Amino acid sequence: MTKSTMRSRGLDLLTWAIVLVSLLPIAWMLLSSLRNYSDIAAGEQLSTSVELRWQNYRDIWVNVDFFNYFKNSLIVCGLTTLISTACAVCAAYALARFRFRGSNAFSLSITVTQVIPGMLFFLPLYMLYRNLGQSYGLVMLDTYHGLVFLYVALFTPASIWIMRGFFVSIPRELEDAAVMDGCSRFGAFVRIVLPISAPGIIATATFVFLLAWDELFFAWVLTSTSDVQTIPVGIRLFISQFQHRYDLMMAAGAVSTLPVLFAFFAGQRYFIKGLAAGAVKG
Amino acid sequence: MSAVTLRNIEKNFGPDAKVINGVDLSIEAGEFVVFVGPSGSGKSTLLRMIAGLESQSDGDILIGDLLANDVPASKRGIAMVFQSYALYPHMTVYDNMAFALRMAGTPKKEVQQRVERSAAILQITHLLDRKPKTLSGGQRQRVAIGRAIVREPQVFLFDEPLSNLDAALRQDMRVELSKLHQELGATMIYVTHDQVEAMTLASRIVVFDAGLVQQVGTPVALYENPSNLFVAGFLGAPKMNLLQGTLAAASSTMAEVVLPGVGSVRVAVDATRSAPGDAVTLGIRPEHLQLSAGHDGSADNTLAARVDLIEYLGDHLLAYTSITGIKNGLCAKLAGHATPLRTGDTARVHLPPAQCLLFDAAGAAYPRIQ
Repeated sequence: MTKSTMRSRGLDLLTWAIVLVSLLPIAWMLLSSLRNYSDIAAGEQLSTSVELRWQNYRDIWVNVDFFNYFKNSLIVCGLTTLISTACAVCAAYALARFRFRGSNAFSLSITVTQVIPGMLFFLPLYMLYRNLGQSYGLVMLDTYHGLVFLYVALFTPASIWIMRGFFVSIPRELEDAAVMDGCSRFGAFVRIVLPISAPGIIATATFVFLLAWDELFFAWVLTSTSDVQTIPVGIRLFISQFQHRYDLMMAAGAVSTLPVLFAFFAGQRYFIKGLAAGAVKG
Repeated sequence: MSAVTLRNIEKNFGPDAKVINGVDLSIEAGEFVVFVGPSGSGKSTLLRMIAGLESQSDGDILIGDLLANDVPASKRGIAMVFQSYALYPHMTVYDNMAFALRMAGTPKKEVQQRVERSAAILQITHLLDRKPKTLSGGQRQRVAIGRAIVREPQVFLFDEPLSNLDAALRQDMRVELSKLHQELGATMIYVTHDQVEAMTLASRIVVFDAGLVQQVGTPVALYENPSNLFVAGFLGAPKMNLLQGTLAAASSTMAEVVLPGVGSVRVAVDATRSAPGDAVTLGIRPEHLQLSAGHDGSADNTLAARVDLIEYLGDHLLAYTSITGIKNGLCAKLAGHATPLRTGDTARVHLPPAQCLLFDAAGAAYPRIQ
């Protein structure tokens, strides 16, 4: 075996080891979701003698109103994805193509927002939301639009950076050619730039959807009724003061992973391409 | 086809960033004019202003009789071929070529006829259903030209269209562009930094430097009679040999130049506008130097030299020589593929007075006497 073959095999082994370690929690979740409460408490996830408990997957819909959390998550994440991606596309195009007064400061401020921990502003945010409702009648707590507004604000900056990389990688001459062919600047954006940027837009939308779907902290703070609470909050509710229903929690976790997996695999090709855009000269 | 007239065109990208400094130029209808110049000389910016992709800071652009200053790019009757081809990657070749016509609201049947006719001219009919990413560089170039032809423009603009092609393909496309110009008879303006493209394609060349037109003329006129040192040094490969000296005597037919530490050389120019003692630069192209074996450098207009290097280039060879007192030495281009001279040999370099050029201290050429 040559040195390079050994090296290649070694890297393959390392890759598989990393994949296994990454998949272990998911496998553990799936195994636990098919055990009953007492089996999990006894640590018998791997036992072959215990019967698989498929009714956990029924119970999360019947005993708990999991459908409601699922619906809320789809509404909040869907709207967030739509609005955030639309804002990111417009802002990123402006940053990629136009030099305007304050463009550098704006770019910098986008980066800065990403390094501020959410813990620092959850209290002021909560007070702001409460005051908007009490003083101005604009109810933000316990509403879809309250969560959507926050998520758009939280996830749009990173989306702008992804889209900006994509727009920068598109030759400016394409838009010049479109202008020569009779398009306005906006027409060139719509007819040429947007279709070419579809992979980047899909990548950005997938990215935002994944972030919003997983978000627990702000959803926990800003919502208190099951009418608007999302899946992460719903799953959290399986742990109460007197009972920890890890079996149902794991089943709910497995079900809630499905849309995320679907979103990721549907946009996987574009996702990687989108994140890598502008990284190398094509 | 239309004429293009530029009147005192200026372009500033800021208070200290003037890239075009007052260009006046008249391009006749049906001419093939090539803009050449080093990077940053303003040639591409000027082309983009003619196209309508950049606005000029001052001056007027006329396309035919149309004052085009405020006319949108698509209404100027101009088509442009870009350096990167700029083909729309999500469209087929057919859709790429039809895009401008559809934008203009041309009837579907006419669009089809014009696309097919243009494709036939460029022999790309078999590519019409393909996407640009499946085409080779040469095919993409043809499609880009086809996209321009299909619009039947008054003026074609080319922005370094061959620079992404390999040498062989570039030569083929050069020939095809020349044929296309003859066939269409349209006005063409072509930007390049490749001298061979400029010399072979142009009916007239415009040499740019620092946002100014240095000289306009036919390729032969510019090569034989450059108006200044920049043009003399820019056109020609290898570059013209340039020697610093002092004017010793001047008449209306001949000037005598003293090359410090070397001797004096006579040049067939009218240098009477300068006085003896003025600094001058003598120029002679490598192919005009006459190099022969021997030691005697005392003959008329002949300098003693040493051969430093000989490069064999198939149909000709280049001899690099050093001359005591001259900083950079001289490069001679010799016809044929063999020479009795060897590296290290002493040699005589003869400078025929009629082939020498002379430039004053400001770089302006003295009129040649031929």
